[in-house]
Amino acid sequence: MLLLYVLIAEWLFFYFAGTTTNRRGIVVGFGTLDRQFDILRHSCEIGLLALALTPVIITAGIDLSVASLLGLCAILFGKFWHDAGMPIPLAAALALGCGALGGALNAALITTLRLPPLIVTLGTYSLFRGLAEAITRGSATYTNFPESFLFLGQERWLGLPTQAWLFFAVAAGVWVLVHRMTFGRSFRAIGFAPDGARYAGLPVNRRVALAYILAGLIAALAAIIYTARLGQAKADAGMGYELFAITAVVLGGTSIFGGTGSVHGTLLGVAAIAVLKNGLASLPVVMRMNAAEEMAGLLTGALLLLALTAGVLPRLWAQRRPPPAAPAIASSTPPSPA
Amino acid sequence: MKSLLRPLLAATLALALASGAFAAAASSKLIVAFLPKSKGNAYFISCKAGAEKAAKELGVELLFDGPTDSNAAKQNEIVENWITLGVDVIAVAAENREGISTALRKAQKQGIKVVTYDADAMPDARSFFVNQATPEGIGQALMDEAARLLNGEGEFSMIVATLTAANQREWQKHIEARLKEKYPKMKLVAVRPCDDLKDKAQSEATAMMSANPNLKLIMAICSPGVPGAAEAVKQAGKTGQVKVIGLGLPNENKRYVHEGVTDTVILWNTGDLGYLTIYAGVALAKGELKPGAKSFKAGSLGTFAIQGDNILLGKPFAFNKGNIDQFNF
Repeated sequence: MLLLYVLIAEWLFFYFAGTTTNRRGIVVGFGTLDRQFDILRHSCEIGLLALALTPVIITAGIDLSVASLLGLCAILFGKFWHDAGMPIPLAAALALGCGALGGALNAALITTLRLPPLIVTLGTYSLFRGLAEAITRGSATYTNFPESFLFLGQERWLGLPTQAWLFFAVAAGVWVLVHRMTFGRSFRAIGFAPDGARYAGLPVNRRVALAYILAGLIAALAAIIYTARLGQAKADAGMGYELFAITAVVLGGTSIFGGTGSVHGTLLGVAAIAVLKNGLASLPVVMRMNAAEEMAGLLTGALLLLALTAGVLPRLWAQRRPPPAAPAIASSTPPSPA
Repeated sequence: MKSLLRPLLAATLALALASGAFAAAASSKLIVAFLPKSKGNAYFISCKAGAEKAAKELGVELLFDGPTDSNAAKQNEIVENWITLGVDVIAVAAENREGISTALRKAQKQGIKVVTYDADAMPDARSFFVNQATPEGIGQALMDEAARLLNGEGEFSMIVATLTAANQREWQKHIEARLKEKYPKMKLVAVRPCDDLKDKAQSEATAMMSANPNLKLIMAICSPGVPGAAEAVKQAGKTGQVKVIGLGLPNENKRYVHEGVTDTVILWNTGDLGYLTIYAGVALAKGELKPGAKSFKAGSLGTFAIQGDNILLGKPFAFNKGNIDQFNF
């Protein structure tokens, strides 16, 4: 739970350093409730992608295509609504369906053709974004969404940013799936030792497929929220978000090699990145450098490397302590099927 | 883990104490935040140069930040960060008209004055739009320049982006109106689209010259069209014989202007655009500029007309051999 402490430390620091009273006598900065809600609002899409990726990474897979799928679904949603004249709920439902289909494409290539997830999703990463750009010819943008739809992305409901409720609901759902259902346990078993899981009678392909389809579905939901927040659907929606999402998952303690990981860890990872990014931007000093964005990228990278190092160091020390008489081979060889 | 907790908390505490220094950095000057569509774009960097000059004259602090690419989502986040910092004025070139308006309305609610420049947001999300060029101004400037070069008589042709694009149609309309009204001895012999491609502009210009042996001038009103037409004239060996003017960016035309192929490139003075924007924003914040004003004085640039809630930068700017090297975009 080192990450929790880091998060608290970050938050406290920015609370004290990033809150000021401006010339007009208004308290501004990180410490205001409005700002906290902004952070939550901005975190929803990357947060959703991170939630989508957690089960996938636990199965020792990876999905680089989630953010591209977000872009594609945003465009399709806009197209269904604007060009095909569908009502918003129907367009949204269809967009969600397309997201699931996109995920199913990944799943099919990975499970039936046994191609490595990294390569498959690297392909669909370009494919989905390329489709979005082709559909819009890179320039069409869907705007003028009705107020009732923008409410989802720009207003508050029961005190919180509207989309936060959806985000929390998905988080709860994925948490239950991963931590309280046999599904989740099978994800870990598959990630830990796929062959072992197969010998143990688990429907490995079906379970892996489910993880990717779920990821596609959640990416589509993120697309709808993104569109509502900005009031526009454009082919570049969510560009680069997959890397932030993967960072959050890994930061949250999920092993990139699969087998271990937790949804609450992912949520902490998302929060740690979001607080760092937004907190930095609220420091007057950073603001004056006119490079809050770049600075946040730099520190997020540093945070990830530090967290990884901190995770490995104790084990390295433990290995070095005992004299060479007892080499720690067991921990470095892949676990054998139990 | 326990052992890590204590030093971590101690470090936080130390940082929190040091934070006094950060907080104290909030200045007593008015803070004006200037948002381009993308901050690496030479066009906006040249706007920034004018903005900096204005900020210096007015004694205000200028923040200049934007997405590294033209990214609407990042523009919103930057505006929200500025709201957090509690800046006094936000000036925006909107990448997405509706998207940015949500953030700008929020800024206005917090008492921040908002102006837009270059590309407008929704009218209710800002006080004024600093309008760099009206279609009428552009049309007249191009036609007047063509007439000046040809001494008011002779044949000329036009290259447009497409025959249907709204802004092109609008400019063309004002060019033709000016032609009819003031230059009876000039004749528009051809209008051809180049689909915003330099290559196509070049082949269209070549075709125009062979079809109209008396052609004296080619006017391109889309930015790739100007260097395209110039290249055609140069290759045909008709430099000086067929003149080229158009609406475009200085950098891609510099070569032809120096070679004497292209006479004039019309656009607006981007430095002045930044300068005027900052002056307008600061005047708003100080209460010197109010909605409904009819004119506005901006430092050394003098007085500008206001049409509704648009502050007009006024006449377009002509780039020619004498001044084009001062501009880098």
